[in-house]
Amino acid sequence: MTTTDVPTTAVARTTAVPGRSRREREGAAWVFLSPWVLGAVVLTLLPMAVSLYLSFTDYDLFDSPHWVGLRNYTQMFTQDPRYWRSVIATMTYVVIAVPLQLALALAVALALKSMHRAKGFYRSAFYAPSLLGASMSVALVWRAVFNDGGPVDRLLGTGGWVNRPGWALLAVALLTVWQFGAPMVIFLAGLQQIPGELYEAAEVDGASRLRQFRSITVPMLSPVIFFNLVLQTIQAFQVFTPAFAVSAGKGGPADSTLFYTLYLYDRGFVASHMGYASAMAWVLLLAIGAVTAVLFRTSRSWVFYASEGDR
Amino acid sequence: MPGNRTRTFRPLAVGLALCAALTGCAGSDGGGSDGKAVLRYTWWGNPDRAARTEKAVALFEKRHPGIRVQTSFAGYDAYKQKLATQAAGGDAPDVMQLDYRMIDQYATGGVLLDLGTQRRALGTGDIDTGLLATGRVGGRQYAIPQGRGTETVVYDVEEWQAAGLAPPRGGWTWDAWADTMRTLARRTGKPGGTDPGQSEDSFEVWLRGQGKALYTKDRELGFTVDDLTRWWTFTDRLRREGAVSSAEQTTQLDGSVENTPLGRGTAVSDANWDAPAGGFLALVPDGIALAPMPSGEDGTPGQYFKPSMFLGAAAHTAHPKEAAELIDFMVNDPDAGAILGATRGIPVNEALRKHLAPTLKDFDRTISVYQASLEGDLKSPPQAPPSGDNALQTTFQRDYDQVSYERMSPREAAGNYLTEARAELRS
Repeated sequence: MTTTDVPTTAVARTTAVPGRSRREREGAAWVFLSPWVLGAVVLTLLPMAVSLYLSFTDYDLFDSPHWVGLRNYTQMFTQDPRYWRSVIATMTYVVIAVPLQLALALAVALALKSMHRAKGFYRSAFYAPSLLGASMSVALVWRAVFNDGGPVDRLLGTGGWVNRPGWALLAVALLTVWQFGAPMVIFLAGLQQIPGELYEAAEVDGASRLRQFRSITVPMLSPVIFFNLVLQTIQAFQVFTPAFAVSAGKGGPADSTLFYTLYLYDRGFVASHMGYASAMAWVLLLAIGAVTAVLFRTSRSWVFYASEGDR
Repeated sequence: MPGNRTRTFRPLAVGLALCAALTGCAGSDGGGSDGKAVLRYTWWGNPDRAARTEKAVALFEKRHPGIRVQTSFAGYDAYKQKLATQAAGGDAPDVMQLDYRMIDQYATGGVLLDLGTQRRALGTGDIDTGLLATGRVGGRQYAIPQGRGTETVVYDVEEWQAAGLAPPRGGWTWDAWADTMRTLARRTGKPGGTDPGQSEDSFEVWLRGQGKALYTKDRELGFTVDDLTRWWTFTDRLRREGAVSSAEQTTQLDGSVENTPLGRGTAVSDANWDAPAGGFLALVPDGIALAPMPSGEDGTPGQYFKPSMFLGAAAHTAHPKEAAELIDFMVNDPDAGAILGATRGIPVNEALRKHLAPTLKDFDRTISVYQASLEGDLKSPPQAPPSGDNALQTTFQRDYDQVSYERMSPREAAGNYLTEARAELRS
């Protein structure tokens, strides 16, 4: 979305004939922007406002909502054991899936970078799961693979992962890790931006490969690592489809894959408590905002921007 | 560049058109292009029920050339979710199959049509008045029961006999049942049956056997933490002994017979409703038989004849008369009755039932004989459960997961359930 409207405004500005008033030029900009503005207001801002209102009401979809003040929020924090189970499940998942996924993406990007032949083919091949992975069908296949009598059970004799608490979460996390394509492509682009002279100079100085990785690749890549970390963390907090399909819609076994969004869906669409679900959505938004803010705060100490040195 | 624009627009347009076709969101005003009134009719059930329903619907369309019926069906859990979403969005199907637990919620929510307004198209004269009343809310007839069902212990005949056990007789107690499960496990090497701890239905049978109920007349919980703790302690012990299915097996239950331990061949019996139990025929090669549910210590039966699978029409349907005609056909027409048999339980239409009983074949006959054996012994059904119960069924199952995976004691989980149930019923 955002990539399309940036050129639009640019065009509006450059084609403006000099001599016309500023107001006219701005008017033209708004005309070009209007599809996006309309979409943003009607499809994003308005629903958000409504959901904020609903979060203070009791609303079952059939009768009109009635105001209950902070009841949804107090119930969530003090009287709902399942809510806290969903919070813990989500945090566990984020902590396991995001680092694993990024590590794999970086490893594959490094391998691809030093490759000379068939690079394009491998890049596409590793990217493919990211295109497929978010789909329901792959998640269903995943469930079959990790179920009783599935390939994993037969190969390792572990029984069905999806029916064991702990293991089920790992199965869902693996599905996410497997979709490492998007961060990998970004890493690859980042790696290619690192000037080759740095490595050459390091080699002349007798630095080992590991040393080069630690002292050149990681610091030079740190803005990209940070970008991927923020993006994937935000996405991981909102994961829904894999957990829904792998646990057959129940978030089981024993609520071990009852991710936040899954419980939100359960409260809203299964139990018809839209007010409660809206309150949950707002808490999630604030929590993701807080986590992102913390990540940005820590970034000052480990993310290196080459341009800063020039200043 | 104009050429550029068409090039990008064409795939986009094709893509959108495909999306519409794939998701079926083409939008319909209830009228077909051929001038026919189009009714959407949905139900839950297995493929056998679907095949028979489609056949009956085809006959209906032949008799009513001006009406076309679009059908769709799903398993119970999926159906329940989908219908809730549709109903909330004001897009309920014209004719829909409803469970006892859904009527209160949808009738008071303004989703269902008062069928009393379509009396001319829909006759109810032959339906048992007691059963008919179960489809009434606030004095209005919102739904018509199609059949009556009751719970049963369905078991693999051959393995049961090979274990040296006699067929269970009516009035057997829960203790006798538990001993049987233990014996089966010992002699066949696999659990005797599905762990009933996850099932609110089985819990209700157990409660009623002690003269209690799931809900009071004022729509509050009819049992205490102690009752639920005793039930879960009882089933949890059997699970630990291996007499009933393991947590890993139990958690896979989703309302379909295919995913029960008996259906997967990992247990010898299952507690289920009699009509869907027919689905086991395809899954258990040795053949199955139906036994009554266990009774209380003093022989008080807990199971009851439950009006099953109601039909209702959407309040906002564009074709109320045609919808009523379809319901009338499904419930009252002798030819439809002959096609449908007992796939939704034994028909509630008295004339139809008498007419049909001798002609029932195969599993329909098994159900008919089973129900006849209980006739006169069972107590009357409880009133329709309050609307929150629909969600509580799932909560019950989830809380028991905490027990069977040994993350909580029965008392702790029971306490949780009561807290959640009270919050659910309050709102």
